[in-house]
Amino acid sequence: MDWKIAELKELEDKIWRCTACGTCKIAYDYGPPPTFGEICPAGTEFGFEGMMASKGKIAFARGILSGELPWDDELLEAIYKCTVCAGCQNQCQLDHKPFIPEIIEAMRRKAVEDGVGPMPLHKNLLQSMKNYNNPYQGPRRVRTDWTRPFKKAGKPIKDINKEPAPVLFFVGCTGAFNTAARAVPTATASIFQKLGMDFGILGENEICCGSTAMRVGDSEEFKRVATKNLETFKWAHDERGVKTIVSSCAGCYRAIKKDYSLSSEYDKIMEGIEVIHTADYLNRLYKEGKLKFKGELPWKVTYHDPCHTGRHLNKFIIDHEGKQLWKGAYLDVDQSECLYEQPRDLLKAIPGVEFVEMPRNRANAFCCGGGGGVMTGFGEWATKNASLRVQEGMDTGADRMVSICPFCHFNLNEGSKRIGGQVKVHDLTELIDKVLVGSNDD
Amino acid sequence: MSELSSPQKDQVFTATDVGNVDSVLKELRKIVGETNCTASRHIRYAYSYDLSFVKPKAPDYVVMAETVEQVQGLLRFANKEKIPVVPYTAGTNIGGLTIPERGGILLDLKKMNKIVDIDSEAHVAVIEPGVSHAKLADALYKHKLRFGWPVGPPSASVLACAISHGIGGLNAKYGLNSQEITSMEVVLPTGELVRVGSCAIRHDAWHSCLPMPQLDGLFKGWLGSTGVVTKIGISVHPIPPLLKVFTVSCDNVEDMYSYMLNLSNYEMCDDLTAVSWWLAQVPIPYPFKTKPDDAPEWFSFATTTSWTEKEREARTEIWETVFEEEQKKNTSIKRTVYPEEALKGRTQLPSQVVGSTKNYCKQGGAGISWPGTFTPAKVWAPVYNKWKEILIGHNLSPSVRMSMYRGVHYGMLRAMIPFNKQSAEETENARHAIVECLKVDLDSGGIPYKPPIDFATEINKRANPGYLDLLRRMKKFLDPNDIMNPGKLGI
Ligand SMILES: Cc1cc2nc3c(=O)[nH]c(=O)nc-3n(C[C@H](O)[C@H](O)[C@H](O)COP(=O)(O)OP(=O)(O)OC[C@H]3O[C@@H](n4cnc5c(N)ncnc54)[C@H](O)[C@@H]3O)c2cc1C
Ligand code: SF4
Ligand code: SF4
Repeated sequence: MDWKIAELKELEDKIWRCTACGTCKIAYDYGPPPTFGEICPAGTEFGFEGMMASKGKIAFARGILSGELPWDDELLEAIYKCTVCAGCQNQCQLDHKPFIPEIIEAMRRKAVEDGVGPMPLHKNLLQSMKNYNNPYQGPRRVRTDWTRPFKKAGKPIKDINKEPAPVLFFVGCTGAFNTAARAVPTATASIFQKLGMDFGILGENEICCGSTAMRVGDSEEFKRVATKNLETFKWAHDERGVKTIVSSCAGCYRAIKKDYSLSSEYDKIMEGIEVIHTADYLNRLYKEGKLKFKGELPWKVTYHDPCHTGRHLNKFIIDHEGKQLWKGAYLDVDQSECLYEQPRDLLKAIPGVEFVEMPRNRANAFCCGGGGGVMTGFGEWATKNASLRVQEGMDTGADRMVSICPFCHFNLNEGSKRIGGQVKVHDLTELIDKVLVGSNDD
Repeated sequence: MSELSSPQKDQVFTATDVGNVDSVLKELRKIVGETNCTASRHIRYAYSYDLSFVKPKAPDYVVMAETVEQVQGLLRFANKEKIPVVPYTAGTNIGGLTIPERGGILLDLKKMNKIVDIDSEAHVAVIEPGVSHAKLADALYKHKLRFGWPVGPPSASVLACAISHGIGGLNAKYGLNSQEITSMEVVLPTGELVRVGSCAIRHDAWHSCLPMPQLDGLFKGWLGSTGVVTKIGISVHPIPPLLKVFTVSCDNVEDMYSYMLNLSNYEMCDDLTAVSWWLAQVPIPYPFKTKPDDAPEWFSFATTTSWTEKEREARTEIWETVFEEEQKKNTSIKRTVYPEEALKGRTQLPSQVVGSTKNYCKQGGAGISWPGTFTPAKVWAPVYNKWKEILIGHNLSPSVRMSMYRGVHYGMLRAMIPFNKQSAEETENARHAIVECLKVDLDSGGIPYKPPIDFATEINKRANPGYLDLLRRMKKFLDPNDIMNPGKLGI
C-alpha cells in the first residue's frame, strides 16, 4: 500500500504563498453585527508571533527549509505547541490555505525524520502504540472493560470477529482506555441497543486509528496501524458484512475519513463501506422520525465543536488545472461535510433543553486545547486552554457543555475542574441516551 | 549554523556593550516577567520579515509588555544601555517599518489590548495599542458606532494605524484616522510618561487635543521613533442606517478626476475613491495583464450614509446633478455596476476576506509594497499616467487607487504592487519600479506615508534643510540616544 504523505520540502511553494498579513490571528466575521474572538490557543497562551496562528507556523517552516532555523530544543517545542486545530486556516484566504495543517504536520514529520522529534512525552505514546497498539499503554484485554455492564445486564455487545453485523462501532482508544471518557462508548452502545441496531465491535482486536501518531509527525507508525485497519475493514466488509463504520470519536472519524484517504488503496478498500460519525448517524434517524424521546432534560446547554468534526472536514476547492484562475489557486471551501448542524439539531430536539450558542462557534470555534498531541506533550497547558473554553461556555449561562469527541470530553472536564467550573461536560450520546425511548422501555 | 540576518555590523548596540547577552535577558525578565521576553532564534526569526520588499532583519530580543509601567521600565533600561527598541503591534504596515534596522529589542504590544472606555454619548473611545480593528468593530457595534476601518487585516492595530496617518472608510468625511485622535498617552524613550491633549489636564478627559498646543504631532507619523504610545482617544461615529454607494466608470484618469473633484465639493461622501481596472480585479493581476479594450480604465465608488429616506433622496439628487454635469462635459463617464466583492471592500469593513492580502497579492506570491502617497488631487492624472508607464515597463500592473480626503484638494494616490517574494529578482524589480514611481510623485508635490527607508531617503533629498534640521533636533530632544526604531526616518 502506498501512502501520499507530503514532505515539508514538497510544500515549499505553498509555504511561500503566506504574506505574513496576520489575518489568521483572530476569528472575525463582518456580520453585521461584527464578531471578534481569539482563535489560536497557542497564540493566546504564548503571545509571540511565531507561536501565533499560521503566520507563525509558516515563519518556522520557511526558516527550517532555508536553513536559517536549525533544530534546537526550543524550536522543536514551538512546533509542537500547536493543537493543529485549523482555526488559523479558517481565516486565511491565500493559496496555501488548504495546506496549513499539512504544513504544520510536515514540520513535525521532518523533526521525526531528522531524529529530533517528537517531544519526549510523545515518544512514550508512540512506544505504547508499538507495544500495545494504543497510545494509553493499555493491555488489549482492558479495551473491552467498558462492555462488562452490558454483558452483566444480559445485553452483550456483539464481537464482529465472531459474528457478522452490518454496522461496526469503531470505539477508539480514548473511549476504551480513558476511564473518564468511557461514558462515550457506553452511551453510544446503549443508544444503538435501544434502537435495536445490529452492530458489533472489534473488541480486543481493535487497534488505534493512528490519528495521534499522524498529528505528532510519526507517519511510519501511522501507516502501520492505518494499513492494518484498512485491511481489517476490508475483511469486515467481505467476511462479516459490514457496510457502515460508526465512530463516536472525532479523532478516529477524521483519521479514517481523511488521513486514510492518503492511501493508494483507499477507494478500492472502502468501496461499499460508509464511515459516519454517531452524531450524523443519529441525526439522520431523527430526521426520519426514528428517534423518540421521553421525559425532559431541563438543562441549559451549549455546544463545543470539536476541530476534527468541524474545520478538519472542510473540502477545499482548488483550481488544479488553472482553468478559472491559475494552477493551484484556492477558490473556495465546501463545508458540507462538517458536522456543525447535526449535533445542534439533536440537542435542540431533546425535550426541555434550552440551547445557547457560545460566541465562538462552528468554523470559528475555539479549540478545547488538547489536540495535535498537546494533551500528551503539554498537559498543563491543554487543561488551561480547556478552562478558557469552559469559561466561555459558563459565560453563556449554560449549565452543561456538550461535545462529540471523547478527547474534548476529557480535556474540557479537566479544564472545568481547574477553574472549579459550574458547567458539567457531556458527550452528546449521554444526553440522547438519557431521553431516548428504547426497546427496554417499550 | 546560519545566523539570522540581524545587521550586527552597523548596530549601535552589541552584546559586549552590556556585558553579555544573558545579562540583557535577565534584566528584561525582571521588567516584564520570564514568559514575556525571549532571545530565541525562532521567535526572532518570525519578527524578521514582513510583506514588503524590505530585506529581513531580526531583532536580538523580543519583549511583550502588558502594562504601561513595564513599557516605562523597558525604555529606561534600553535608554541606559543604548539598545534599540522597535514598537510593534501586528507588523502589517507594508513598509518594513517594524523590521529592526539595528537589531535590539522588538517591543510587541499586542497584549496591551484593553478597550479602556467607549463613551457612547460623547462618541469617544479610549484604547490601548493591541486593540485590533476587529475587536473594536465588535465592541463599537454594540453601541451602533463605527470608525474609519481600513481595507486591511482585521487583526491590525487601530492605534498603530491612527498614529501612522492611516486611512479608512470614512476618510472623505472625517479625514485621516490620525485626525480622529483626541488625546494620547505616551512613554518617552527615556521612560517618562506623558499625556497630550485634554487627558493631560484631567486623567479621564479624552475628548480633544485642542485648544492646547498640538503636541500629539510629536508622536504621529514618526514611525515609532519618538516614543511608545500606550493609549489614544479617538472620535467614533454613529452608524446611519441607510447606505447608498454611487458607482461610475471612466475610460481615462482625467475624466475620473473631473468627476471626483465635482462631487467632492458637496462634501457628502463617507468615502470617495476611484480604482484603476487592475486594482478592481480580485486579485490584482501579476505579472502585468492587458486590460480588455472594452473595459473602462477607472471605476469609482462614492459611499454615502443617511439617516432618513429623504436625506438619501437629497444625496441622490445631488449626485445625479454632478453626473449630468460631467456628462455634459463630454467625458467618458458612465454609470456602472461595480464588482460585488470589490464593493463589499468599501462597505463591509474591517473584512477578513476583502481586507486580507487575498485582494492584493494572492496571485503575486507573498509580496506587496506600494508607493503610497498623499498627493494634491490636481496632479493625480499626470502622476498616474507616468506611473502606468513605469509599472508596465517593469511588467507590473498599474493597480492604482485615488481617494479624496476631507475635501477636495488632496488625497491618497497609491499603487498596490504584488510581487513574487520567493524570487529575489522579482522582489528587486518591484522595489525599483516602486521607488521610481515615488520619485515622480515627490517631484509633483506628493509625499509618501508609512514610508520604507528607500522612500524616506528620497523625501529627505528634497527636504528643506531647515525642516530636516528641526526634525533632527526634535528627535534628539525626545530620544537622546537614538534608541527608538532607529534608522527609519533616514536622518
Ligand atoms: C492587505 C493590507 C491592506 C492594508 N490597507 C490599509 C488601509 O486601507 N489603510 C491603512 O491605513 N493601512 C492599511 N494597511 C496597513 C496596516 O494594516 C495598518 O496601518 C495597520 O493598522 C497597522 O497596524 P499594525 O498593528 O500592523 O502596525 P505595525 O506594523 O506593527 O506598526 C506600524 C508602525 O507604528 C509603529 N508603532 C506600532 N505601535 C506603536 C505604538 N504603540 N507606539 C509607537 N509606535 C508604534 C511601528 O513601529 C511602526 O512604525 C494595510 C495592510 C495590508 C497588509
Ligand atoms: S497564513 Fe494566511 S492569513 Fe496567516 S499570515 Fe499567512 S497569508 Fe496571512
Ligand atoms: S492550528 Fe490552531 S493552535 Fe495551531 S497555529 Fe493554527 S490556530 Fe494556532
